[in-house]
Amino acid sequence: MGVFGWIVLALVVFVVISMIAMYNRLVSLRNQVQNAWRQIDVQLKRRHDLIPNLVEVVKDYMSYEQETLQKVIQARNSAVQASTPQDAIAAEGILSGAMGKLFALMENYPDLKANQNVARLMEELSATENKIAFSRQFYNDSVMAINNAVQSFPSNLMANMFNFQPATYFEVAEADTAVPSVNLR
Amino acid sequence: MALGEQRSCPACGAANRGDASSCRLCAAAFDTSAPTTAGEHGKVLYRTDFLAAARANQASTRRLVALLVLIGTALGYLCGWAFQATYGAAANATQSVWFVSSWGLWGGSALLAVSVLWTVIAFSNGDRIVMRMTGAHEVSADEEPQLHNVVEEMALAAGLPKPRVFVIETPALNAFATGMRPQRAAIGVTRGLIEQLNRDELQGVIGHEMSHIANWDIRYATAVSVMVGLIALVSDGVLRSMYLGGGRRRGNNRDGGAAILMVLVVVFAIIAPLAAWLVQMAVSRQREFMADATSVKLTRNPLGLISALQKLAQTAEPFKGANRATQHLFIVNPFRNFSEHASALMATHPPLDRRIQRLRNLGTL
Repeated sequence: MGVFGWIVLALVVFVVISMIAMYNRLVSLRNQVQNAWRQIDVQLKRRHDLIPNLVEVVKDYMSYEQETLQKVIQARNSAVQASTPQDAIAAEGILSGAMGKLFALMENYPDLKANQNVARLMEELSATENKIAFSRQFYNDSVMAINNAVQSFPSNLMANMFNFQPATYFEVAEADTAVPSVNLR
Repeated sequence: MALGEQRSCPACGAANRGDASSCRLCAAAFDTSAPTTAGEHGKVLYRTDFLAAARANQASTRRLVALLVLIGTALGYLCGWAFQATYGAAANATQSVWFVSSWGLWGGSALLAVSVLWTVIAFSNGDRIVMRMTGAHEVSADEEPQLHNVVEEMALAAGLPKPRVFVIETPALNAFATGMRPQRAAIGVTRGLIEQLNRDELQGVIGHEMSHIANWDIRYATAVSVMVGLIALVSDGVLRSMYLGGGRRRGNNRDGGAAILMVLVVVFAIIAPLAAWLVQMAVSRQREFMADATSVKLTRNPLGLISALQKLAQTAEPFKGANRATQHLFIVNPFRNFSEHASALMATHPPLDRRIQRLRNLGTL
């Protein structure tokens, strides 16, 4: 085998090795996206479990806010029933909005805030809200990583060959991002 | 506006482009008639988002580690060469001075091999001692619910398993992370930190520690300190053997080349440990900047960490549970006066005001 033959062989080996590396990277990115989605799911379930407890504790104090409490419970139940990720994202957006309103109203009840149980539940719930936000952030970062890999050259060739799809971002619903209007007068 | 001019925000201090009309961090409107100032090193800082900061840090750490390896191999090479000149065929060795000394090559690769081996050993049992040395005790989620929640939030943001949580009972404000692998990591904070920081600030600090875990900084630091330790050990050995063997060899009839070589070896053996140590400190500082930037990537809220660092700067109560071996693990250096610029080259941590300034220049996404 001449010099030319060796060069061709080296090139072939290089290409094969980089193809294997690209394939493995795509697989691990896809798994990361799936795992990140499961993490969001865990936190959403936890929120669903905590909300009835909170409502149970605060309902005696907040008898004038029945409507808000009802909305929270309804939003929670429809979020629990959501089956597809798209439904879940929409239902969770509504639930987040209802919870935000409840938290804001709770500020008006000093005895409620002094209650140890409520304080603990509030920390748990706001931590869970944060955890949802952070796991969503990590999910979206993972989505960006796999989408970059799937769409950019040369790993897009590998992605096409083995049918790696771009993932969907977890978008926050419109109602969730809208700035609440405050009327001070 | 001249190129390179910038305008710092009167409300939050963030650096903005000279032609900006409002702050990109806190959205405060600017008085555009006020004069602009020259940027840091004459450069404008408007492209320093946290991803760019992380890339720049990664690159400079790599350069520093390469420099350290170069110092180590050069030392090994010089030692092997000196041995060849002394004990080998002397004339031959000094003739090959301007080419390649075979013993020198052996010396260089031996030093590298030993450092790799030592590093592997250090990796397997390095982290267990740290907790005991700092006097930290583990706390459960029932004892410290908020701390546990914040740690879990940051673990989720980094996509890592939740580390164990420790508390050090001292009024000093500090925090540290340890663990050779993200799967077996731990984060510790002082009692003073829990009591004096609000939730956002605590989140910034925990984000910084989580970044050390996510960026494998503890491993980095261990590998670097092994290399530095080895360089110090070998240099020390060289100097001692020169001192002891000097009298005997002085009577030998040797050519000038070998004498120059000996001087070279002695000078290098004196300089190498010092240089290696300076590189180690520089690596440590780079990783601190990196962890600050990564913390912002996790929290997406630079203001929390900024105000936490400001509180840490104000209460400069030293933490006595730390020592030279563990100082690089903490969020702020446990001994040093925080604003000391004179000793900047020899510090494990950058001065706090520099860290705060860089955080202000980080844009949010």
